[in-house]
Amino acid sequence: MLVSTSLTLALIHLFVWYKQPQQRVHLSFSIVAIAAAAVTFMELLAMHASSTDQMSLILRWAHLPILVFFVAIACFVYGFSVAGRLWLALTACALQALTLILGFTTGSNQFFSEVTALKHVTIFGGETISIPEGVLNPWYVVGPLGVLALIIYVLDASFSVWRHGTETDRRLALIISSGIVLFLLIAPIHAALVNMGIINSPYIVGFSFLPTIVAMSLELSNEVLHAAQLTHRLQASEAELRLSEQRMALAASAAELGLWEWDIARDEIWSTDKGRALFGIDAQECVSFERFLNTLYPEDREPVAQAVQKALEGGGDYESEYRIMLPDGKLRWIAARGGIDMPPGTALRMHGVTLDITRRKQAELEVERHRSELAHLSRVTLLGELSGSLAHELSQPLAAILSNAQAAQRFLAQGAAGLAEVRDILDDIVDEDKRAGEVIHRLRLLLKKGESRHQRLDINTAVREVLKLVRGDLLNHKITLKVDLAPQLPAVNGDTVQIQQVMLNLLINGCEAMADAKPTNRRLRIRSLHAGGVVRISVADQGRGIAAGDLEKIFEPFFTTKTQGMGMGLAICRTIITAHGGQLWAEGNNDRGTSFHFTLPVVSGTYS
Amino acid sequence: MKTNQPTVFVVDDDPSVLKALARLLLSAGLNAVTFTSPNEFLENYDPHAAGCVVLDVSMPGLDGLQLQQALAALGDAAPVVFLTGHGDIPTSVKAMKEGAVDFLTKPVHEQDLIAAVHAAIEKDRLNRQARAELTGFLAGLATLTPREKEVLAHVVTGKLNKQIAADLGTVEKTIKVHRAHIMEKLHIRSLADLVRLTERSGIKFMPIEKSVKAERQR
Repeated sequence: MLVSTSLTLALIHLFVWYKQPQQRVHLSFSIVAIAAAAVTFMELLAMHASSTDQMSLILRWAHLPILVFFVAIACFVYGFSVAGRLWLALTACALQALTLILGFTTGSNQFFSEVTALKHVTIFGGETISIPEGVLNPWYVVGPLGVLALIIYVLDASFSVWRHGTETDRRLALIISSGIVLFLLIAPIHAALVNMGIINSPYIVGFSFLPTIVAMSLELSNEVLHAAQLTHRLQASEAELRLSEQRMALAASAAELGLWEWDIARDEIWSTDKGRALFGIDAQECVSFERFLNTLYPEDREPVAQAVQKALEGGGDYESEYRIMLPDGKLRWIAARGGIDMPPGTALRMHGVTLDITRRKQAELEVERHRSELAHLSRVTLLGELSGSLAHELSQPLAAILSNAQAAQRFLAQGAAGLAEVRDILDDIVDEDKRAGEVIHRLRLLLKKGESRHQRLDINTAVREVLKLVRGDLLNHKITLKVDLAPQLPAVNGDTVQIQQVMLNLLINGCEAMADAKPTNRRLRIRSLHAGGVVRISVADQGRGIAAGDLEKIFEPFFTTKTQGMGMGLAICRTIITAHGGQLWAEGNNDRGTSFHFTLPVVSGTYS
Repeated sequence: MKTNQPTVFVVDDDPSVLKALARLLLSAGLNAVTFTSPNEFLENYDPHAAGCVVLDVSMPGLDGLQLQQALAALGDAAPVVFLTGHGDIPTSVKAMKEGAVDFLTKPVHEQDLIAAVHAAIEKDRLNRQARAELTGFLAGLATLTPREKEVLAHVVTGKLNKQIAADLGTVEKTIKVHRAHIMEKLHIRSLADLVRLTERSGIKFMPIEKSVKAERQR
């Protein structure tokens, strides 16, 4: 019965191991069980031995399954815990192997030098069995020493597991190691007592191991069950994952998102059908990064390639907006976002989404167009207000040209002109003509209606140009100008015309604010300075000032304090500055008048 | 600068315009002196020099009109020709009221400018002549005897010698002699000049009833 139990368990675990070959612990356990069965079988044989020679032979050969059992236990414990000092296990196995060899080389077997007689004992159940009697083998102690080494190894291994393992591991280690150790203590001691003739009982090595085997088997079965549960959960979560992928695909298609993944090593871009449709690429076509770039509007290729490179090297996210040229010649705006899943420089894949933002872009461009038209309108009005000043700026060079030319005519008519004199006059005429041309050029820029063009610009230069335009106006208003521009300002990004428009507006407002002031008080101060990542321009007048409650209202459309005027100027100025990423505000001066300030973010580097 | 030739003082804050105007005036045989700021001009201006002033209206600091007033305050103002980039009516009216010879818009044509400058120079010449005449008159006046002054007062009211003699209680012949002395001392040939210069000199004589009547008759 014991043998069959052991063998059954051995078969079960052998089967488990066969199904899951990587679970070697089941193989070890099967061997343990088979060896235990073999030992039990040998013990049964020993009980029914009829002669001393037969008993000797049985006891000698019984140590072979015991050795196998030892090795298997050591393997089992090692496989189970992956801990303990391996040399202890090896020592135990070596000592047991030595015991086996000693059994064949010294005495009649490992226990006895010589079996002198057979005792016949009646056990419960009325059965009579044989027990050996004789002189103990002097090498007897080697066997128990091996057992001791194995005990130490098992304790050592389970102690490591106890220290480092999880709650479940600890429980397993406790049950298995205590079962094994208990058995390893009981079996040899009992055998020794029998051998010394102190107790009259059959060998119960195999029998005493049975509870341990059952306990181990139960625990292992728990493991198997646990694994089965895990498998089940895994399947459930795979189903969940599939469901979630379906949801994701649904969401992506509902949001008109194209999903993509770029295998960098193979240079292949996988994309959902939606993604391919966005780019006008067939479902079958194999897409490389180059192919993707070629679908882009030529101007946008370089920036996109740079953005991707930056994400790959610098890490973090990739984000860009670009246009693609569709086969029918239309442009489509795309927003793309992506990321890499590895540290920068080692990424193998990049994945992300693309979205058609054509409609949004069109709306944005429409808004931009409206803003630009409004700004233009306001600019034209503004220049209308400046007409006196502009006439002055133009009439000066024209006056010089006319007078020079007529002077030359007169000199020539009188025959009194030296060649050098005429050359001087002509040089001056050319210079003055250029000067008039510049005024007209500046005017044309301001009057021109066009989409805003952002570029790096030096704010001081822009300010100086505007001041040239309003010079005449300032003269007419008898205003003293104090210009205080910080040298070496960093560049800002912006539309020169629009920035100058803001300047013009602030200057004209300043002039008008001081119309009632005493001429000695009509001072306008222009400053530029660089602070905290922005360039700030300030226009301070000495006029009648603005009520504190109105300082913010003046930027509202149609709010005006002037008798003439639409009240749009400052509102448009604020729109312009906000669109440039800056701020425009007003504050009362300490003494008198109002200061207007606007900021523009610094690009980088400094104009020298 | 030739001492006898009139000088044209040109003031404009724009150096190029200034240079061109100077050339043009030179080509017309005029002697021009240029200044880029009103203050510089005021510091260097010599009221004794004959000629005129050409002023730009819009200038920083003192503008043209203010400069005109400042000149007038110096007394014996040189005639002014104004130049402006954009001529507005109020400014031009004000300038003319203050005695400007002309108010020209830039760019200015040679004929206009030269004509205006010549007119201004002529006006200056006449002004100076009149001033010199008056100065001589006043100097002569100081040499008159009290009796002669008495006679003069009656003469300028347009009375006949006979009436004056009656008023002063003397004979016509004596009045005639006084009258000849007065004309001689004041270097005046005609009665008209005597009356004009006396009026210009601003000297008031004691009003006499009969002389008032005589004025009414005139």
